[in-house]
Amino acid sequence: MTIEVQGVRRAFGDVLAVDSISLTAAPGEVTALIGPNGSGKTTLLLMLATLLVPDQGAIRIDGLDPVTQPTEVRARIGWMPDGFGTWDALTVREVLHTVAAAYRIPPDRARARTQELLATVHLEDLGDRRARVLSRGQKQRLGLARALINDPSVLLLDEPASGLDPRSRIELRDVLRALAAQGKTVLVSSHILTELQEVADRAVIVARGRSLQTQRLDDDFVSTGTASWRIDSLDLSRLTDWLADHHVPARRVGGGLTEVEVSGEENAARLLADVVRDGIRVTTFAPSQGALETAYLAATEDRR
Amino acid sequence: MSWDGMMTVATLELRQRVRTSKWPIVLAVWVAIIALVAFLSYWATNDADLRSGESMYDIVIFFVLGLAMLIVPSLTATSVNGDREHGVLATLQTTLLTHWDIVMGKLVAAWVISMTFLVTAMPFMAWAWFEGGVRGDKIALSVVVLMLVLAVVCALGLMFSTLTARPIASAVLTYLTMGALVFGTTIGFALSAFLVTGEEKIQVFGIPDNWYETHQPPAVDPADPTLTPEQIDQLNKAGQPTPADCTTFTRTVTLAHTERIWWMLPLNPFVVVADAAPSEPRKRGDQYSSGFTPLRWISLGARSARNGPSAQATDECAMLTNTGDTGFTDPSENALKTAPVWPYGLAFLLVAGSGAAVVAGRRLRTPIRRLPNGTRIA
Repeated sequence: MTIEVQGVRRAFGDVLAVDSISLTAAPGEVTALIGPNGSGKTTLLLMLATLLVPDQGAIRIDGLDPVTQPTEVRARIGWMPDGFGTWDALTVREVLHTVAAAYRIPPDRARARTQELLATVHLEDLGDRRARVLSRGQKQRLGLARALINDPSVLLLDEPASGLDPRSRIELRDVLRALAAQGKTVLVSSHILTELQEVADRAVIVARGRSLQTQRLDDDFVSTGTASWRIDSLDLSRLTDWLADHHVPARRVGGGLTEVEVSGEENAARLLADVVRDGIRVTTFAPSQGALETAYLAATEDRR
Repeated sequence: MSWDGMMTVATLELRQRVRTSKWPIVLAVWVAIIALVAFLSYWATNDADLRSGESMYDIVIFFVLGLAMLIVPSLTATSVNGDREHGVLATLQTTLLTHWDIVMGKLVAAWVISMTFLVTAMPFMAWAWFEGGVRGDKIALSVVVLMLVLAVVCALGLMFSTLTARPIASAVLTYLTMGALVFGTTIGFALSAFLVTGEEKIQVFGIPDNWYETHQPPAVDPADPTLTPEQIDQLNKAGQPTPADCTTFTRTVTLAHTERIWWMLPLNPFVVVADAAPSEPRKRGDQYSSGFTPLRWISLGARSARNGPSAQATDECAMLTNTGDTGFTDPSENALKTAPVWPYGLAFLLVAGSGAAVVAGRRLRTPIRRLPNGTRIA
């Protein structure tokens, strides 16, 4: 159930939405697609969701070509679009029943599956309410349930966390991890990097329609990647001098905080120990950016 | 395409339609208007000479078609691009439904709703039938033709909703098409009539046009008391042609060859419905008193246009040899006895409707290769 994308390109008239994106998403993993607005993430997902033909390049989902075998691919994927629209006049339960019928799921199984998914996305008490009354976050959760109705082995999620409250985000994270644990391939595009770092196994950074790099997000990456740390100290001037003496790249940020760039947790721990040993009273020592965030900012820096 | 898939889409469409509150109101207004029209036509034509059954039937059918052509396009004209705007089309396209399931499901749903309009008009047609003068099989035929015409209107609206990105544009295009079919064909026929009108020489067997000039009666006063009855008789005959005076000659006349342009008329849905079931002309004594029957007028107009001016040499002498008017028949009533024109029109509309459905189906096919300007996918 691997997703393979090889040198895909797609233009809309004069606008080149996707220039050249290549990626691989493996089963049992959550792959994150990150990039600035307009970098071609949604267009790529539309091509994966069998809605759009790439101008160039090849896509294989479980070895199947979405262009020539759309029906076979559709049976295997679940797609959650960005800004999920829904049939406002229908109740939440009817929306899911309709989609189940569209997947040719028999009515009794559709009912059972709907009940199960409403529990998964915590919409049971809203099951008989019109979809119109749902808030944006609740609609997103309904969109997730819709994408899962046919028990897909490949899940394509476009900005699933937008509009979700903190609890829903944590629950979404758990749902995605559970799906990956079942051996499904999960491809999720998002802006919320700190969340992704916790849920994704791999991140593909795209900018201007090109895939820039693929980053594994395992413990190794976290412990060795360059990250920013924020230090608050009661002896601010002494800390600044100390950092200058020891050639640690540092800059002052708001609120009397100092930010330093350190590669790897090992080095960060050593820095803290050295600072404290030299009698500087440190009150806060915390990562300001995740390693993913730093990697993302570095990769997309030329945008400015 | 599958039955289940089509029904899934049709059920979804109908459910949404029924739950939005404006449709019951439209239906109520519809029934009120048709009822008003039926009552008014009943009172207006309720006398012995203008039998109300025929007139009522004609007027009710006329209004049902006219109002349906105003309402039905709105059922489908924003169907697909409206769904696109709400972001709900792509969520169906990524399921196992095919593009034909979606198109046919939407078409069936719109058609079912337009049928409810037709069904609510049925009691008034039944009333016309009870009033008499209209045959049941004619009513059945015109209802079937109406159903097919409305299906075509639905299909045209659906096609335009797949062709334009904005719902307002497709609605305008659909109404323009309706206008072209109803008014365009009539205006086109009228304007092109002068192209087929010209002076022509025709063979006539009858009294030459100059007969009266060459046969001036003698300048004698018939009231002269000195004349004998034989002389008076001769005098009277001298001014009147006899069958013996008939010859074959050529006359230049102005003729409109509407048989070359008649095909524009049956493209009009009103002509199709009218011609499918014109009410029977009713003879009352020696005179036709058909009352106010617009459908029959449309029908005989279309058929006369198709027949065109008579190609045979006209025999004007027959009027002299026959006594009385037994040989004379109303040409328009003769036209009603000739072959109908509605099968051509209905065939055209059905071809146009099927073509529209095919275009709509193709436009919903995914994955999309070329995306029209301004169209969003999801």
